[in-house]
Amino acid sequence: MKAKFNNIKISGLSVVVPEKEINIYDEAQYYDNSVKKIDRMRKMVGFYKRRVCDYETTPSDLAYDAAKNLIEKMVIDVKSIDILLFVVQQPDYVNPACAYFLHDKLGLSKNCLAIDINQGCAGWVYGLFVANQMIASKTAKRILLLNGDTPSPKIDLSNRTTAPLFGDAGCATLIDYCEDNIESYYNIETQSSGFEALIEPYSGTRFRLDVQNDNDFKLMSELREIRYATPNGVCVSPFSGYMDGLAVFDFTMNVVPKNIKELLKYSNNTQNDIGTLCLHQANKQIVQTVGNAAGFNEEKVPYYAFETYGNNTMCSIPTTIATLDKNSSKEKLLCSGFGNGLVCASALLNLKDTKILDIKTFEKPSYVKTRNEYIKYWEKKFKGEN
Amino acid sequence: MKKEEFLTELEDVLQREEPCKETDDLNSYEEWDSLSKMAIMAYYDKNFGIKLTLKELKEVNTVTDLINLAGDKIQ
Repeated sequence: MKAKFNNIKISGLSVVVPEKEINIYDEAQYYDNSVKKIDRMRKMVGFYKRRVCDYETTPSDLAYDAAKNLIEKMVIDVKSIDILLFVVQQPDYVNPACAYFLHDKLGLSKNCLAIDINQGCAGWVYGLFVANQMIASKTAKRILLLNGDTPSPKIDLSNRTTAPLFGDAGCATLIDYCEDNIESYYNIETQSSGFEALIEPYSGTRFRLDVQNDNDFKLMSELREIRYATPNGVCVSPFSGYMDGLAVFDFTMNVVPKNIKELLKYSNNTQNDIGTLCLHQANKQIVQTVGNAAGFNEEKVPYYAFETYGNNTMCSIPTTIATLDKNSSKEKLLCSGFGNGLVCASALLNLKDTKILDIKTFEKPSYVKTRNEYIKYWEKKFKGEN
Repeated sequence: MKKEEFLTELEDVLQREEPCKETDDLNSYEEWDSLSKMAIMAYYDKNFGIKLTLKELKEVNTVTDLINLAGDKIQ
């Protein structure tokens, strides 16, 4: 699907990352204590540093902190926000939507619509696309788009194909109607035949616990103990995510460069017109390969964000934007997110008037309780004691 | 590209310390992992304009098989 929008601008952007940094050179025990093996990974895929949260931090915590930062630094009247969009794949609760929770915590207006969108690595571009449609339809003038993802806590550290890859992050983007001539172009493609290439197969109602059936409790606890050996010898739990790396790479190579070239043509631009190609930071190898196949010079396709923060899924394009040189031209940024679905979502954006905040270190919201505190809290609720 | 040149390049693509020989069985290389397969796909695309498929790479056993996939681009 292709679309063009006008009179809509991205007013502000804030990214937060957890304080804890892991450096792959501190994980030599997983590489037979061989610096040479780590060097190989560093050179081939760009594994280096990543930011990870603790087990009790959720995507909504990170998104809330990014939103607070944006609201404070830009002095935004929260009552002026017409719609809250929250892109999340690991919500705090399956029901109700996490956007309601954030709507409450941020003190948004009763007239403000709150919606969750389930998308992964293309989630920022997806959110922008939906926001643009809503403003273009004249139902909203101001939209707060939040993104949050915490892939790292679910991954076993011994899983060397995915553990060094992912980082955690949250992001807030303010999108406004404007009188200025600010155009954006989108090209979104869905290849749902690759649905199982990136998946958490045991995460939803296909593996619903039958509370009437004691055997189901037993089956579930047995399933939780299982570890399957992957072809590269890694033991993974079926409850963590599954990635068919080669199939995803195949999709990326066949679909993404073409999608980007189509968008250039649709918007009457060439590679030379684009300031920076901000690709989803899947890994260094993929960023370089896609950039090259799409016809861009290497210096226009940064992968610094991957090496510094890890692949923080739907926040990786905003993270890339926040790490660009402050003086670089942002009038024509081509952004492309690709991943689970499988989907590819590219956008040509004009961020020349966007307030891009420095990447902030995450501070846990004061309302967040520990796991044990939550258990006691809900126990009281169930018993009608509070 | 000359065959000898490709063999040197292959060492770099796979980030391998030892020289690659035509008769080598790739499956005996510690470095012949999914990352290397992706790197080969990227290398063929960039240098030869050849888009290898997963199926083709899965059928590759020796360095010679890999060279054959480049057709007349490696002589």
